[in-house]
Amino acid sequence: MIFFSNSVIVFIFIEALLLLLLSIAFINVVGILKSWDFSATSTKQYLLEKRSYLVLLIIFFTLGFKIILLPYFIYMIDELNVLVPGAMCAAGVINSNIYGVYLLSLKVRILFLVGLWIILNHYDLQAKDYPFFKKKLWLFILIFFLIIAESILDIFYLINIVTDTPVSCCSAIYGVSGISNPIPFDLHVSELLGLFYLLYGLTLISALYRYALLSLFSNMAFLYSAYYSVVYFFGTYVYELPTHLCPFCMLQAEYFYSGYFIWGTLFLGTFFGISAALLQYITGKEIKKMYRYSLAFNSAFILFCSSYVLLYYIRNGVFL
Amino acid sequence: MQNKLFYNFLFLLLLKHRIKHISIFIISTLIVFILSSVVLLSNALQEEINTTLDSQADFVIQKMRAGKSVNTPLSWSDEFREIEGISQAQPRVYGQYFFKPNAEHFTIVGIDFFDEQKSKNLQKLITNLDMKKFLEKPNMLIGHGVKALLDKYYFFDYYVFKTPHQKKRKVNIYQIFPKESSLLSNDMIIMDIDLAREILGISEEQSTDIALYNPNELEAENIYVKLVLKHADIRVIQKSDIAKAYKRLFNYKGGLFLILYMIVLLTFMMILYQRYSMVQSSDKKEIGILRALGWSIKDVIILKVTESFMVAFGAFLLGFILAFFFVFVLDAPLLSNIFYGYANLPMDISLHRSIDFSLVSLLFLFYILPFMTAVLIPSWKASVIDPLEAMR
Repeated sequence: MIFFSNSVIVFIFIEALLLLLLSIAFINVVGILKSWDFSATSTKQYLLEKRSYLVLLIIFFTLGFKIILLPYFIYMIDELNVLVPGAMCAAGVINSNIYGVYLLSLKVRILFLVGLWIILNHYDLQAKDYPFFKKKLWLFILIFFLIIAESILDIFYLINIVTDTPVSCCSAIYGVSGISNPIPFDLHVSELLGLFYLLYGLTLISALYRYALLSLFSNMAFLYSAYYSVVYFFGTYVYELPTHLCPFCMLQAEYFYSGYFIWGTLFLGTFFGISAALLQYITGKEIKKMYRYSLAFNSAFILFCSSYVLLYYIRNGVFL
Repeated sequence: MQNKLFYNFLFLLLLKHRIKHISIFIISTLIVFILSSVVLLSNALQEEINTTLDSQADFVIQKMRAGKSVNTPLSWSDEFREIEGISQAQPRVYGQYFFKPNAEHFTIVGIDFFDEQKSKNLQKLITNLDMKKFLEKPNMLIGHGVKALLDKYYFFDYYVFKTPHQKKRKVNIYQIFPKESSLLSNDMIIMDIDLAREILGISEEQSTDIALYNPNELEAENIYVKLVLKHADIRVIQKSDIAKAYKRLFNYKGGLFLILYMIVLLTFMMILYQRYSMVQSSDKKEIGILRALGWSIKDVIILKVTESFMVAFGAFLLGFILAFFFVFVLDAPLLSNIFYGYANLPMDISLHRSIDFSLVSLLFLFYILPFMTAVLIPSWKASVIDPLEAMR
């Protein structure tokens, strides 16, 4: 029974506690949103303002922990591969039932919104009259419902991890199977790479000259192409094996946990790139810092990935 | 806000209110200590078993009859040696010997000392083992538990085994295993394979089971299928199965503990909530003064939350260090019995220090998060006190 695994128990316990806190915050948020009027001087508004401190404290605290919990979740899944027959890394465990993939993508999306909320909150608190107060509470309500969905999926996923029948391992899931090409739009790896570097150039331009709309779309496209490039090209250099295609194995100790850095920088880079545009629409102000962060993380990501290829070439004199 | 002065003030405050925090601090330390000891111990034992498993055979073959494993014919091992991918097939002889005076079992393992790999491994375990001298007379190597038991019955240098045919066989004690390997070798007796056959009553054409070695891990699945198809009454145990079984066992024991411990943590949270909800009049005054000095509600909340965090973190550090000392220096007396199971022979083990980042983060999350969850609302409650009312 997978439920007895120590890290799973701790994970569920923490998720439950956070959900409890978020529910308390949610009830208060609904009350605040119903009768919030910043210009009023009534006792009710005064009480609501006091209450808003609690809400912000709880949300900030829980969402902060949510950020820590995603790497922890991935680590936990990776660790479970010992118990799932056939699985050699997190890929097998994630794909051991239908919920896994949805859960992981939902978690990444929630993390994205959480990041957005925290930045919005920061700018809201800087201004004296809380200009985005209602917006950020609505954003919180959206996050709250997503987190409820996430918790339900969590339980369904963890209950349904099979421990008796073998699952596919990563080479079976991501590997090239005969004629069909797993890369979308039937691209070649070389074409994919060209696209990847071009899109990076585009994010670079959008970040340097701060084009919001361009930043939004170029970063989205970059994220998409980067995922496939890492799985089908850069990953093979991380593993130094042309047939090893897997986004998860690089998270393991054999590869010095480099996966956390690769996926972490990619997430942060595109997150700042996309949220720069979104925040500009929400706040109506241009936030220069976001573009700078996006530029830094995207470049770190691309340098790190490319260095694997380069170092391999320098050491062996050939490409894979 | 969060500068040196802030922390200076924070620690002064903590020092001043030490009476208020001390009870929470002590309980927290205790909670972390017990939690960490169990998790550290379970992890250390798991590591221990994993390292020993590495040198184990990749497959173990048993012959089954009526749902019980019986002695395997030696002819099987020649048959399996033919399978491609298998580098070695070793018939093994071992079994339990019932020690009547104390109603306990020894594990007798017979080793073919002319087999190079086996004797090399043994050489690693026991340095300067003189093979020639060892094989001259009926000699044996014994674990710590066996030694202690034999001493009790005044068998200091030898023991007289009784074979199933009521014959007596005197075997000298040659050497004792090092203490580090006690988890596995505690109740173990190692002797020459022919001697073991005689004492355990296994005939010349048979062995207890057959160990197969396969140097290429990728071949394991193929070989497994080939082996299973060879005979109708065969049982094949893979190394990964054993590893998994151990993992399950430790997960089960550790998990059961963690689930019960959740209740402790929830209760602890209630206590914390109650404790920090009681705002004394002096506290109120303090907050009132801070507010009057121009601190905002946000600043006071940060102060209060950081104050609780410092208490929690201090308790975590102290509890964890104590647990580390308890498990790795004192070898976890009392607690270890939970994990060793019902002891055949009393265990005496010294644990290897094994600790990883994930373990610490697991403990940290499992303790700090409930703690902070419980103090959030009381901290807020204390911070939003009306300054005018508080100063009165």
